[in-house]
Amino acid sequence: MKWIRWKGLIAFIVVLISVIGAGVLFVDDAIKGIIEKTGTHLVGARVELGAADLSVSPLGLLLTELQVTNPDDPMTNAVRVDRVVLSVEGSNLLFRKVVVKEMTLSGVRLNTPRKTSGAISRQRAVKPVVSKKAAGEKFKLPSLEAPNAKEILQTEKLQSLELIASLRANLQLEKQQWQTRLAELPDKTRLAEYRKRLENLKSGKQRGLEGVIGSAGEIIAIQKEVRGDLDRIRSARQELEKNAATLRKQMDEATRAPQEDVRRLMDKYSLSTEGLINVSRLIFGEKVSRWADTALSWYEKLGPVLERAKERKQGAEVVKPLRGQGVNVRFKEHEPLPDFLIRIAKVSLEVPAGSIGGWIRNITPDQDVLGVPLTYEFSGDNLEGLRSLKIDGALDHVDPSSAKDTANLQIQGFQVTDMNLSDSAELPMVLKKAMTDLKGRASLSSGTLKANLLARLQSVDIATGSQDEAGSLVKGMASALSDIKRFDVEANVSGTLKVYDLKLTSDLDSVLKDAVGKQVKAQAARLEKDLQSAISEKVSEPMADMKAKLGELSAISSELTDRLNIGNDLLKGTKKSGPSGLKLPF
Amino acid sequence: MDAMLRAIAKVLRVLNSETDPGQMSLAFCFSMIAGLTPFLSLHNILVLLLILLFRVNLSTFILGLVFFSGVAYLIDPFFHWIGLTVLTISALEGLWTVLYNMTLFRLAKFNNSVMMGSLLFSIALFVPLYLISNQIIVRYREHVLAWVRKSRIMQAFKATKFYRIYATYSEVRGGA
Repeated sequence: MKWIRWKGLIAFIVVLISVIGAGVLFVDDAIKGIIEKTGTHLVGARVELGAADLSVSPLGLLLTELQVTNPDDPMTNAVRVDRVVLSVEGSNLLFRKVVVKEMTLSGVRLNTPRKTSGAISRQRAVKPVVSKKAAGEKFKLPSLEAPNAKEILQTEKLQSLELIASLRANLQLEKQQWQTRLAELPDKTRLAEYRKRLENLKSGKQRGLEGVIGSAGEIIAIQKEVRGDLDRIRSARQELEKNAATLRKQMDEATRAPQEDVRRLMDKYSLSTEGLINVSRLIFGEKVSRWADTALSWYEKLGPVLERAKERKQGAEVVKPLRGQGVNVRFKEHEPLPDFLIRIAKVSLEVPAGSIGGWIRNITPDQDVLGVPLTYEFSGDNLEGLRSLKIDGALDHVDPSSAKDTANLQIQGFQVTDMNLSDSAELPMVLKKAMTDLKGRASLSSGTLKANLLARLQSVDIATGSQDEAGSLVKGMASALSDIKRFDVEANVSGTLKVYDLKLTSDLDSVLKDAVGKQVKAQAARLEKDLQSAISEKVSEPMADMKAKLGELSAISSELTDRLNIGNDLLKGTKKSGPSGLKLPF
Repeated sequence: MDAMLRAIAKVLRVLNSETDPGQMSLAFCFSMIAGLTPFLSLHNILVLLLILLFRVNLSTFILGLVFFSGVAYLIDPFFHWIGLTVLTISALEGLWTVLYNMTLFRLAKFNNSVMMGSLLFSIALFVPLYLISNQIIVRYREHVLAWVRKSRIMQAFKATKFYRIYATYSEVRGGA
């Protein structure tokens, strides 16, 4: 037995016992360290544990003073749990499966202050983005006082003025061109010369037949010249009339332009009841948007708990271990179970209003293995300022390719007190008290987010502050708000986790619309009259000048008509007496 | 603490008194398995039992363990590749499925790619390494042992409190 040393067996047993002894001695600290490290990694902020205590028979774990820092506010714990008791199924541990039969969380409190910061230096995840249509804007009432017409005209360009100026320039140019052309056309002097020549022919004695024939020929020649001149004048007059017709049409447009300016400026500056329809969005949008952001940010943190990275390689499913190296290849199990499973977690949540109890079933990152989704339900009755609350739903990732998560919320008799609705200097609003019933449901299916929340507020008391120096419109709104005793608000969210639209509707809108509708219309009528008057004052002078210039073109046309008349008279005179009124000797 | 270190030194002194070439080669081969595979594994308990039960040179084992652990760090991706390839061979799926449903093998983490790859690699090299190192030791026996004892790691190890206790104990008990 040269190769065997039996004392080595004793040494092995000693080493083994020592290792197990050391393990038992330090296992509690090791578990505490693992929970703190893994939790901090998952949450993105410090997770701390007071103590961990592992018991062997029955196999279980007791955790005390668990604190999870809110990553958005490192001086606050998002959750603080006094006591967590876990009972573990020991037989499954041999298969490297942590199956928690039951987990009880007692003394759970939310948003408790921390003594030290729980921040860790780590890049934060991208926050969800609410689209522009969503209601994340700060509350700002639409302007409730009608703007001054003169102030508007100081900043706005009038299209009518521009049109008139352009037309005046065209008219001036046209006038100059026609004056030049008029000078080139046969004028009255020339026509008078024709008359003189004809009269000379009439008064002259024609000697013999040759003389008569000669005179007739000359008359015919004059007729020809006159006709030629008249054709030029007629053609010019036709062209002038055509141009004048175009210019007249443009002038008509220019005349209507001031009215168009009034309409455009009214659209832009006048108050409209349509603008008030969005008041509920402006009042509640920011709050609802903030709640939605918070809910979605915590939902995203649940990601690793619901699903973990899995892939298939050469037909086999491989799972990346949470820690360590390599990949674990999975094979068919006789009794499939996830690597980590909490069958049921019972939670007792302590909130200022009282205690809310509930349970979460089937917490595992391998729902596809378990074949059952995570379900949860929380409820509380007769809480302080809240008659009843119920939240339930399911996170179904059994088929990761078509995961569907749902949540339902029902709150009854929630007493709202002193909720600030608006910081607006014009119309501060505080919801002094209201009894609220809330009903909501949300679902996330294949990346598509849909949520609906309906809040029914009754016994409403809205305080609107002092309106001693406010305008009639603000007073009207304040009075309408003070009279409101009940209203509903409905929020609809749609989109994705990163980008979603938030639409808010409320019957507050119609109440306000009715209350201030008449004042808005009266203010709009006043503004329209002021605008008409101010624009008319501005355009009257250039408009008159434009008309005068068109009149000058008409004068040119008249001149051409006169010349044509003279020419036509000449021609008529020649026709009455032979070729040109000449008395023939035969 | 001192008492614990003395107890271990006593065990080592008793066990590390053999200098047969085969004992050193075997220690080196066992250190390859323990060093290349993930240290906290079920099979390494068996390795520990074997190195204590068989008369192998523990100094060589410790030195080899340090060396192979460093090598494993560098070639883990290679082990991952071997392991994943073997675990995903269709013909072996039945075998793996049977083993997967056995507690012992599940505890041994055989379905982990690095574990499977490194274990197969070290088992495959076990016999060749034993034969080669045995030959080398036979030829250079004295030099090899001397080198191990004079090596920096061993020197550093000798500077530890643990070794001083071990050496003191060995001296008192007649040396190794």
